Amino acid sequence: MAKMQAILSQFTEEQMSRYESFRRSGFQKANMRRILASIIGSQKVSMPMTIVISGIAKMFVGELIETGRMIMAERKEMGPIRPCHIREAFRRLKLEGKIPKQSVPRLFR
Amino acid sequence: MHNSSSAAANPPPPSSSKPSSDASLKRKRGMFQKDLQHMMYGFGDDPNPLPETVALLEDIVVEYVTDLVHKAQDIATKRGKLLTEDFLYLVRKDTPKLHRCTELLSMNEELKQARKAFEVDEEKLATGD
Repeated sequence: MAKMQAILSQFTEEQMSRYESFRRSGFQKANMRRILASIIGSQKVSMPMTIVISGIAKMFVGELIETGRMIMAERKEMGPIRPCHIREAFRRLKLEGKIPKQSVPRLFR
Repeated sequence: MHNSSSAAANPPPPSSSKPSSDASLKRKRGMFQKDLQHMMYGFGDDPNPLPETVALLEDIVVEYVTDLVHKAQDIATKRGKLLTEDFLYLVRKDTPKLHRCTELLSMNEELKQARKAFEVDEEKLATGD
């Protein structure tokens, strides 16, 4: 707790703005609920379930973005993250086994 | 004089560019666009991320959530109903995610208790006067 305070007090304005976005951003519960309901096939998706899945999804986005930035650093590229970086990040995360895969092949895609 | 029955502009043909991963899911594009932009900035992207990157991320996230839920359902059907615990089981090996999930769940419980206590106090105040 105290460590956090110490770090935060040293933040530049840009770092603070980014940290604020990091803390506050999230998937709209209503939208997430709608998607979950259509996947599960039932209308009732509990609040805890929505919260947990939104949390997992947010962390997954974080992994993709951070890996994307790593890839950009390797390639010495600057600027906003491009789809190719995300695709490469996704590929690497897959190799690490962080992506849930369907064990049964989907026949009718 | 012929009344050329000009048909009203035909509705555009069904978009064939929709991701085919889930036939029943006709979701709008850009459902999470705003949320994702803030999230991407928070995690390290530009303050104004590229639209194509946001779109790609949305597709990936929806596919990720879909696969996650299907896996959870595979586990759950052995027991019966789909429960929140099934998702905790799925991320059990991913320590940061597991910790975050338990943190979120206990925060939610705390808020629920706090709200309930607030309501009880309100009642007391109402009847007391």
